[in-house]
Amino acid sequence: MKALVLLGCPEAPSQTPIGLYASYKLGQMGYDVTVSSNPAAGKILDISDPEGVYVKKRVDIEKCLDEIEEGDYDLLVGCVHKDAAATFFITYYHILKCKALALVFSRDAEEVAEFADMVESSTDADIIAVRAFHNPNPIKVRFDKYLKTLEEE
Amino acid sequence: MSFCLETYLQQNDDYKILIQRSGVKQCYKLIEDNAKEIIHVNPGDKVLGARLIGLPPIPVGINEEEGTILITYTKPCHGTAAIEIPISQEEIQNVRDMDIGA
Repeated sequence: MKALVLLGCPEAPSQTPIGLYASYKLGQMGYDVTVSSNPAAGKILDISDPEGVYVKKRVDIEKCLDEIEEGDYDLLVGCVHKDAAATFFITYYHILKCKALALVFSRDAEEVAEFADMVESSTDADIIAVRAFHNPNPIKVRFDKYLKTLEEE
Repeated sequence: MSFCLETYLQQNDDYKILIQRSGVKQCYKLIEDNAKEIIHVNPGDKVLGARLIGLPPIPVGINEEEGTILITYTKPCHGTAAIEIPISQEEIQNVRDMDIGA
């Protein structure tokens, strides 16, 4: 089983820990995990995880977008905290056509609702939508619950 | 045709930026307001060899007389831009053929 974790702009502090955590947890579940990010988010991951304990494979978000095809991954997990992140997630979803989870978060409740609506109206992806910015815990709690459901499937 | 939009934008000055660092929906509106003809594609479809990023259905504008197309261009940190770039007459027909009829 292969999973792709999609990161957006690294400006949201919660994104990096959630990216590392998602990669770790999915790896524990037996997924071969690849993290797709822009260069800035990638550098943060490289410095946070210098020996690649949590992130085993990393690719550039635009290069990856150009090369992926339907069937390449079984699960897509994306951080959606900006308008651009929503469009990238939706585009990856439409190419891969696999099971997908959008982790929608922002410090602003209206943005959470707006981005969740963008994902919901354009995909059949599962959505976790929560207010979070500095503290990644609200996302982690919901993500753990989702993974439990995924394991039971 | 292999086409890297980013390289094109860096190496040429014959394109027009209608709006940049914006939201995707605002960019779609500008394309719809500024193009004489609109077709639609799905996210990930390749226009001029570049995958378009966005919400379905993605509008692509065609101004045949000016020999240009209007597309969106999204970067993770900088949001979405709407740009108008030159296109050959034969490529215009290829773009028209991509219309999903939305």
